[in-house]
Amino acid sequence: MTGLQLYLILGAAVFLLGLHALLMTTDSIRRLIAVNLMGAGIFLIMVALAGRISPPDPVLHALVVTGLVVAISATAFALRLITAAARIDSGQSAIPDKASRLASKTLSDVAEDSRP
Amino acid sequence: MTYALVSLSIPLLSALVLMLAGARLSKRNAGIMAILTSLLSLVAAWFCLLDVAAANQSILLNLGGWENGLAIRLRLSPLSSLLLLFAAFMHVLIGIYAGFSRQSVSRDFWTLSCVLHGSLAALWLSADLFNLYITLELLGLTAVAMVALAGKKAYKPASNYLILSLVASLFYLLGVALVYGRYGSLDVVLLGLQTQSDTTTRIALLVMTAGLMLKAALWPLHLWLPAAHANAPTAVSALLSGLVVKGPIFILWLLWSEVAPVDLAQQIGPVLAVAGMIALVAGGLSAMRSPYLKTLVAYSTVAQLGYAMMALGLLMTWQLPQMHVALWLFVIAHGLAKATLFLAAGEMQTTLGTKRVSGLRGATQTVPVAMFAFAVAGGSLIGLPPSGGFLAKWVLLEPMLSSPQNWPWAFGVLLGTLVSAAYIFRVVAISFDRARINPPDVRPDRLGHWLALLPALMVWGMALIGEWLIEFLSGGGV
Amino acid sequence: MSTLFTWTSLLPVLIILSSLIPGLLIFATPEHARTRRTLLNMTGIVIKLILVALMLAGVSQGLTFRFEIPFLPSAPLVLHGDALSLQFIALSSILWLATTIYAIGYLEGSPLRSRFFGYFSLCVSATVGLALAGNLVTFLLFYELLTLSTFPLVVHRGTPAALKAGRVYLAYTLGGGTLLMMGVALLHSLVTTPDFTAGGYVLAQIEDSSLGLQIAFILMIAGLGVKAALVPLHSWLPQAMVAPAPVSALLHAVAVVKAGAFGIIRVVYDVYGVEASTLLALTQPLLWLAAVTMIYASIRALQQQDIKRRLAFSTVSQVSYITLGVALAGPIAAVGAIVHLVHQGLMKVTLFFCAGNFAETLGIHKVQEMDGLGQRMPWTMAAFSVGALGMIGVPPVAGFISKIYLGMGALEVGQPWVVLLLAGSALLNAAYFLPLLYRGWFGKPPADGWQKDNFKNHRFETHWMLLMPALFTALLSLLVGIFAGSILSPLGWSEFIVSREFAQ
Repeated sequence: MTGLQLYLILGAAVFLLGLHALLMTTDSIRRLIAVNLMGAGIFLIMVALAGRISPPDPVLHALVVTGLVVAISATAFALRLITAAARIDSGQSAIPDKASRLASKTLSDVAEDSRP
Repeated sequence: MTYALVSLSIPLLSALVLMLAGARLSKRNAGIMAILTSLLSLVAAWFCLLDVAAANQSILLNLGGWENGLAIRLRLSPLSSLLLLFAAFMHVLIGIYAGFSRQSVSRDFWTLSCVLHGSLAALWLSADLFNLYITLELLGLTAVAMVALAGKKAYKPASNYLILSLVASLFYLLGVALVYGRYGSLDVVLLGLQTQSDTTTRIALLVMTAGLMLKAALWPLHLWLPAAHANAPTAVSALLSGLVVKGPIFILWLLWSEVAPVDLAQQIGPVLAVAGMIALVAGGLSAMRSPYLKTLVAYSTVAQLGYAMMALGLLMTWQLPQMHVALWLFVIAHGLAKATLFLAAGEMQTTLGTKRVSGLRGATQTVPVAMFAFAVAGGSLIGLPPSGGFLAKWVLLEPMLSSPQNWPWAFGVLLGTLVSAAYIFRVVAISFDRARINPPDVRPDRLGHWLALLPALMVWGMALIGEWLIEFLSGGGV
Repeated sequence: MSTLFTWTSLLPVLIILSSLIPGLLIFATPEHARTRRTLLNMTGIVIKLILVALMLAGVSQGLTFRFEIPFLPSAPLVLHGDALSLQFIALSSILWLATTIYAIGYLEGSPLRSRFFGYFSLCVSATVGLALAGNLVTFLLFYELLTLSTFPLVVHRGTPAALKAGRVYLAYTLGGGTLLMMGVALLHSLVTTPDFTAGGYVLAQIEDSSLGLQIAFILMIAGLGVKAALVPLHSWLPQAMVAPAPVSALLHAVAVVKAGAFGIIRVVYDVYGVEASTLLALTQPLLWLAAVTMIYASIRALQQQDIKRRLAFSTVSQVSYITLGVALAGPIAAVGAIVHLVHQGLMKVTLFFCAGNFAETLGIHKVQEMDGLGQRMPWTMAAFSVGALGMIGVPPVAGFISKIYLGMGALEVGQPWVVLLLAGSALLNAAYFLPLLYRGWFGKPPADGWQKDNFKNHRFETHWMLLMPALFTALLSLLVGIFAGSILSPLGWSEFIVSREFAQ
């Protein structure tokens, strides 16, 4: 087994591990971490692929750097959203909908022109 | 090409200005600026369309003047010019709605809508797999932020949407990495010449497809869509259903019609087409059962995307250019109709003070214009002639009917039509109920109602340019 | 493109616009602006009648009226005024006049009249467009628009019963429309969509794709059969009776039911052609279907105690005469079918006007309540009798002419059993109409007076706007029967149409 293959398998394993965690948990923070793990797996694969030729492929390195930037911003945004959602999770009151109130209205006010 | 770049960069620049200006710009002025931005972009897109129509072929641009293979390429095809125009128009329309109707939006809406517009324009123009990833991610993040604009109750659906969106992008990214590792190129055109149907390519295309299907809410990966679209503010729902889900479909189409080897596409095509058929029926049935109006409309998006998926799947299977026309006619007709449906639904909700379908009793009297708009747009979703939806369905049906072994697919279209008719007329029939009218809480907002009607009329107006549209889409092709 | 601007090409468009534009304006008319609404209605009708007369004159002079704009590849939108479409347009325009006057009287003082008359005009526009359609795609377009514009009329009352009927109506008609669309698309993929041609245009393809042609035919007839209320696709029609009387009159006599029958005529004569239909073995099953419908619906009509429901089943039965005549595939039967399109319309609209008058004036809905009606409302009862006798086929009312031609047509093509069928149907018609007439003229009025009497001290027996249309259409049914021999009668015109149709 070459080094390239080893890293590729490792990357795939990390990706799958993340996917597994994502599917198995419901907690938002855990799921976010799982997503990040998947991302790490992919970056590992990309860095490994860059080494398939020598000198290593600079394009893939550039892609990984770009991908990291995207991942960091997305994670920051997600964290903010998740914490905000968690904070208000408890305080939702159920006001009955107007339609359900109206449904109890009788048929007596049937439209004007009910000629047979 | 210059016009296309103008159409793309104006919204991005505006977004930057709006972000930097922050509170120094009043909300009203921010709105006006964003609308003007979309309007300018619309004009540029129009010239761009004329350019392409005159040249009658795709125009390629190597960004930064790098040579092929190294450069990130932009491509202006007839289709992308049409989509540029479409996206700009939708932004103008929904911008006017958000700015001047009673449905108030926060200041951030304007910044985000400019970013959304810019990223869509970039998506239509990209011909590079990684560039497409960036636009896709940008689109997803902006869309999530816009859903969250609805306030606290939308945070939960928004964060779910975000996680799914990130996962979907990662799947796509994995595929991109594999493709690059295999072929050493990311350029769509160059890849199209190289790809073979080996295992790596197969896996790469499959994970990308899964990711994109999740993003586009294609059945069976659609479960996030109704919650996200139904909970967003009205203007945002219209943008999401009308435009945002079309982005991933564009990439999916690009992948399978250009990058993927033909024999692979032919293998996967029927699977997608069958999934589309199921989406039509399953989404339609969910819409039929939904007690809430906006959820009904959101499920109808799931169902209607089934048509697009069917067209794509059959395009892959049969490699017929008509299917390409059908696909994009569906996308445009659905975008316009869905904008009306969401705007009308939002208006009716506000005026009648209820989110339930059953609250629409008597809506033909209390909110006549909005209800009429809803019915007219619904007619296009059903595919009644001479609407845009009919045009698309007709083009889709032609190859299905031309040889007897394809007739089962036509049966799928038949089924889809009937189910769509059922959920649209479920709403329309209730609105004629005069026995127990739901009285409006407030006076109907005239501007909002008439704006809702506008895209519905346009989708029916597509019939007038139907032949030209079909020719334009099939002539230049890719 | 230069043909776009000649008056002959614009006339078909103007005929449609003459009801469409007033309709749209009526939507924008405030509820209380009664005079403005009536004025708009009447202006539209007068203009339409003038234009139709102009076209009639033109067609009999041999002018062609054709308008075309691009729509789908090799299937443009074509409006074409030929002799057959004029038959239908003339009928619908004249009955639009009668029905509008009737509806103004009928709906006096009730809410949502602007909406009602708006959709009413749209419905007429769709009907006229359907008559003028020059190819199948255009026909399909107006066929669907007709469904959409009639739905609000069916549910106009907005009661639970009306909504239920409306849902049934939609389920049937939209389903039918979808089948029709499939049929049209299938046929388009086989032979594209040229203009309607006398003698049809599929004959050349009959060798290569007979199965496809047969399936397309079945799909289209199934789609059209829903509106034409062929058994077993007829159930929506009796339910749609909850609509206001003018709507029922319009649906039954002109718009919806006739659209289906007219479509069948078009498909058999101008798309497939008699020769190809016979070669594909399609006419005989259609004949059987029509025969079953005729007898079954008559028997069902016998069982109905509600006047409007009885009339509804009678419509189902009578409209199948048209299908029968078409399916016989001979020139004389064709004359019978085409002329019955008009005759049935005139007689049925009379019957519905009268039934509406009974209900509006005296609150009578059931057959048993009709005793002695002739004493209180002699004019309405007389008009009703004309219609009923015509339906049975008593000379000299219009129905007699149709039946004679259908019978002769059956003999001509060697299907004598159809004559027996017609006789049986006439007997059944008599069985469900004569009791009504007997009760009306010879029954004793209720001793304790009528349960309600709305127009007691009126100059006429009922509101003049309700009475006049009924008398007008009754008179017409008589006149077209008496003067059937003249070239200007519907019969003369039908012979003119058929002479072109069977010239090939």
